[in-house]
Amino acid sequence: MKVIVHDLQEKSWQELGMKLQEKDIVIGGDADGIGRDIGGLMGDCSQLVLISRCVYGGFSPFVQGVLEKYRKHFGPFLEMRHGQTHYEVKSANKNTFGMVCCFYGDNITPREEQSARILSVSDGISMQARGVRIAFYDTVDKLRQLNAIIV
Amino acid sequence: MILFLDGGYTLADGSAACAECIREYAQDEELISVKIGEEMDWDRVYRHLEDAHAIVLAADVYLDSVPANVLGFLERVEQAVIGGESIGGKFYAVLYTELYEGEQTSVAMEVLKNFCVHANIAWGRGLGIGGNKVEAVSGRRHLWSLFRAGTADFRQRSLREQALFIGKKIQGTDVYVKPEEVSRKEYIRKMNHEMKKSNRVKIAQNI
Repeated sequence: MKVIVHDLQEKSWQELGMKLQEKDIVIGGDADGIGRDIGGLMGDCSQLVLISRCVYGGFSPFVQGVLEKYRKHFGPFLEMRHGQTHYEVKSANKNTFGMVCCFYGDNITPREEQSARILSVSDGISMQARGVRIAFYDTVDKLRQLNAIIV
Repeated sequence: MILFLDGGYTLADGSAACAECIREYAQDEELISVKIGEEMDWDRVYRHLEDAHAIVLAADVYLDSVPANVLGFLERVEQAVIGGESIGGKFYAVLYTELYEGEQTSVAMEVLKNFCVHANIAWGRGLGIGGNKVEAVSGRRHLWSLFRAGTADFRQRSLREQALFIGKKIQGTDVYVKPEEVSRKEYIRKMNHEMKKSNRVKIAQNI
């Protein structure tokens, strides 16, 4: 099951023509996720896809807000990973789910791109993803290329 | 005037301690504190942003970024600048994390620096504080209190230094600190031990 979190307007999202399977979950900027256990869904997925406007070299407020809901999948305990302290991850899909971070925006500077890359990898480590793929697109239209990345 | 932006999300006490320290070390200057939230008096915020000699943002870092509400706030400030607001004060940041290493706030610090570029605000200095979880635990005794005092001291030292930069409105190199008095391993052990104890108390209270 894939979980796709995006901050696109509904029209733009529909225009992407993303190939979805029955069980896939889409959490969009138009309040699709309200009433759902977003953290729980993210903790059960096989692939987590984050499609975000690149805001200062990070995720947009909406996508970051959704990620904050993942908090309950971090145990109260700390542990060492990759030479740093991290929260223990409780979710069932740890070390098995893949993460795709996709940033779009027409004016992403090299410095912002670098920040976004580091942020994506750091989040992958924090959430114990199996791997992280990162993509940048300068227009919303080009997001269609994501179909080749998303399983 | 120093404008203090409180972006505390889960560790609000971290922002309060930070504001207190700046107030103490920049006594000649008025400090106005604004809590970043959904309902804000934006006319007042814009007025303060324009008048401030220094803007200080204190926020906790979660998943390597500043909280979503802080990002939303920064975007709105950028829009105001594009709309003609002028911000002459330098921007200082104090980011804190429960994790041991202060460096774990460095990505969020970059996000803030990128914001400053967009909003045409001069960057002052960033301070990233690790090991901040210790503040959430209180009323401990014996070795724990020594541990807690040690970590609190390290925090106060770095905050005082940051307050001096803010008070003098000078730029400086970003600094990332951790509770040097305790090793990473010991910090994890103690924090987990405290958490287990607090969980047991919660369970007992629920019976």
